[in-house]
Amino acid sequence: MKATKATMLLAGIAASALAVTGCGSSGGGESDEPIPIGVLADLSGATGDVGSVFNEGMLAYVDNLNANGGINDRQLEAMSNDYAYEIPKAEELYRKYVNDESVAIQGWGTGDTEALRTRVANDELPFMSGSFAEELTNPEESPFNFVVAATYSDQARIGMNWIAEDAGDKTAVAILHNDSPFGTAPVQDAKDWVKEKGLDIDVTSYAMPAGTTNYSGMLSQVDADGADYIMVQNVASPAAQLAKDLADSSGDQKIVCLNWCGNELFVTAAGEAAEGHMMVQPVAPLSADKPGHKEIVDYLEANGGDPKTTANSYVQGWYTMHAMAEGIRATLDSDKELTGANIREALETMGPIDTGGVFGLGEIEFSADSHRGSNSAGMYTVEDGKMVEVEGGLTP
Amino acid sequence: MAAVETGRYHRTYESQLRLWHTRPQLIRIGVVAVIAIIVPFVFDNYWLSLANTALIASIGAIGLNVLVGYTGQISLGQGGFLAVGAFTSAILTDRMGVPAPLSILMAVATTAVIGVLFGLPALRLKGLYLAIATLASQVVILFIVRRWNFLTEGQGFVDVSRLEVFGFKIERSTFEQQWYIILIIVTVLVAITATNLFRTNIGRAFMAVRDQDIAASAMGVNLTRTKLTAFAVSNAYVGLAGALLAHYSEIISWEKFTMDVSILYLAMIIVGGLGSIAGSIYGALFMTFLPIAVRMFGEVIGGVVPQVQKQLPAVEHAAFGLVIIIFLIFEPRGLNRIWQRIKDFFGFWPFRY
Repeated sequence: MKATKATMLLAGIAASALAVTGCGSSGGGESDEPIPIGVLADLSGATGDVGSVFNEGMLAYVDNLNANGGINDRQLEAMSNDYAYEIPKAEELYRKYVNDESVAIQGWGTGDTEALRTRVANDELPFMSGSFAEELTNPEESPFNFVVAATYSDQARIGMNWIAEDAGDKTAVAILHNDSPFGTAPVQDAKDWVKEKGLDIDVTSYAMPAGTTNYSGMLSQVDADGADYIMVQNVASPAAQLAKDLADSSGDQKIVCLNWCGNELFVTAAGEAAEGHMMVQPVAPLSADKPGHKEIVDYLEANGGDPKTTANSYVQGWYTMHAMAEGIRATLDSDKELTGANIREALETMGPIDTGGVFGLGEIEFSADSHRGSNSAGMYTVEDGKMVEVEGGLTP
Repeated sequence: MAAVETGRYHRTYESQLRLWHTRPQLIRIGVVAVIAIIVPFVFDNYWLSLANTALIASIGAIGLNVLVGYTGQISLGQGGFLAVGAFTSAILTDRMGVPAPLSILMAVATTAVIGVLFGLPALRLKGLYLAIATLASQVVILFIVRRWNFLTEGQGFVDVSRLEVFGFKIERSTFEQQWYIILIIVTVLVAITATNLFRTNIGRAFMAVRDQDIAASAMGVNLTRTKLTAFAVSNAYVGLAGALLAHYSEIISWEKFTMDVSILYLAMIIVGGLGSIAGSIYGALFMTFLPIAVRMFGEVIGGVVPQVQKQLPAVEHAAFGLVIIIFLIFEPRGLNRIWQRIKDFFGFWPFRY
């Protein structure tokens, strides 16, 4: 039978090829070559509203850094591509970045961060992103993931503490979350926290279906549960829709937005309906005018941007890139070869990274035992269409 | 040249049963084999990873083609069935310690069984109605994957440890190369078994059902059994692709098995050629490399028309739609038919036919 013969032959040759293959790729580089970093961005996908602003902030940081001499006279080369929150696409781009000898990766969402978690560990590439899922902070499970700000779970805990205090009495909270790992990340931790601390809060949770144009049905359910507060773990646009529907149905619940809806995009999109709602936000918006904002404002003004309309996702992108750049700087300063493993070690041992009061209490610090860069966040409220700080530097 | 022959004469049963009869066919197989062997030495890791993705897609596309192209039962549930294969194998290996080859086989069996279950509506439904029924399977399976906490232990994803086969573990430095070898062998086996399937009475019954089910039934083909067998066989292949995908990507979440994936696979077999094993492979290769080609095109003309590069995913979607429309209009039988026409052109030259 020819068929089997041909198959056997092919298998045989393939098997011998197995023994022969073997080529290692060398990472890093010397002297004044640019430092390649892979950036995964969602500009046009489900989270594109905040994702594009985050990406702009990152690239602006790189632009600014390079204009001021880069890192020890080496330019940072950010390779940024839109993956539209499609996970297979993110994986494909990631492989491209690895092949282009990136020394670090900047991701975006919980979806891509988790999908690439084992890969970055295998390829030894430090990975930061806009995802603050709690399990990424454990170096035993995610050795190369770094979480630069308070995790979603910490934000939810801070939110629950605030709610308990604000209500003063028995109350109920409905957590409405994005229908994805990003959305569900803090839900169980928030429930456990309430139980652990003995807070007098009833917690229910509902997934917000994607692409819904009207949340009144969900809101009547929330109302029926007797919830006084709605904690939202979603991006700005659906949260704004929710706020509008809440205003239309004259509901008296107070929305408490976590990181990704607690920004100016939410305020602008919801308009009047945003007034009085609360936000747990680890990243100080430009309106808070922290020392760390000066560089961003200067850059925006020099490049035709408007600090008044720039959302804090921009700030978050800027300082996330800053954290990675500082890790790279520390690696170069210690005269080590610029590899992912060395950057990881530098990030773990370099001490606090200063963000000028922008991230939580102002500093991000990693250690070999914990990749939780910070656990503090501020409470903000919406007043006259602006985010106003109620209380800064809160920890769970 | 093949076409100069006046016919194929078989003097033995064995010669009649061969897969490849003519010298050009054998030469072609040889050339393909040589290319397949050269690939891991020529491609860098990135291109090899694309080749690996395309090989997994080929297996899935062959599976879908068995159902859609050969049996005429349209299916929009591909993503869901891939998920069944992926999650079964991942959970068996990772949480229950079943050796990978065994867990992959069990994933194949599980997907086949679940495929039969969701194939039941096909006994009564045809065409568009069946499409909607299989769409339900996609939605139902994905709903279960997302909501059933047991599957992902509430994490939303499952980690899969590095593939280990009989004590041989894939190495990090030659990850893509070793996977390529595994995948090329599996793909060749799948292509050969699938090709042979359609030389048996079962496979011919599939095609009879596709062409005219009432006539097939009048000839003594058991419609119920044939349709369900088609669902089982097709989904066995799809389950294999899903299981391999799980082990290859080392982490799985429902986000890899959405409706988009089902449509992508349908596009693969339309572009490649409905009712053709080789076409499934051409289609899988084509659809895997199309976005890359679009991106490279975007990089080239990005300086002139920056919008193309800025809106790359949108441009990709447009290219995707355009390709399907072009194929449906100009060559509904896909790349495989184009290849045949090229062969005929040279074979019959200087005559038209």
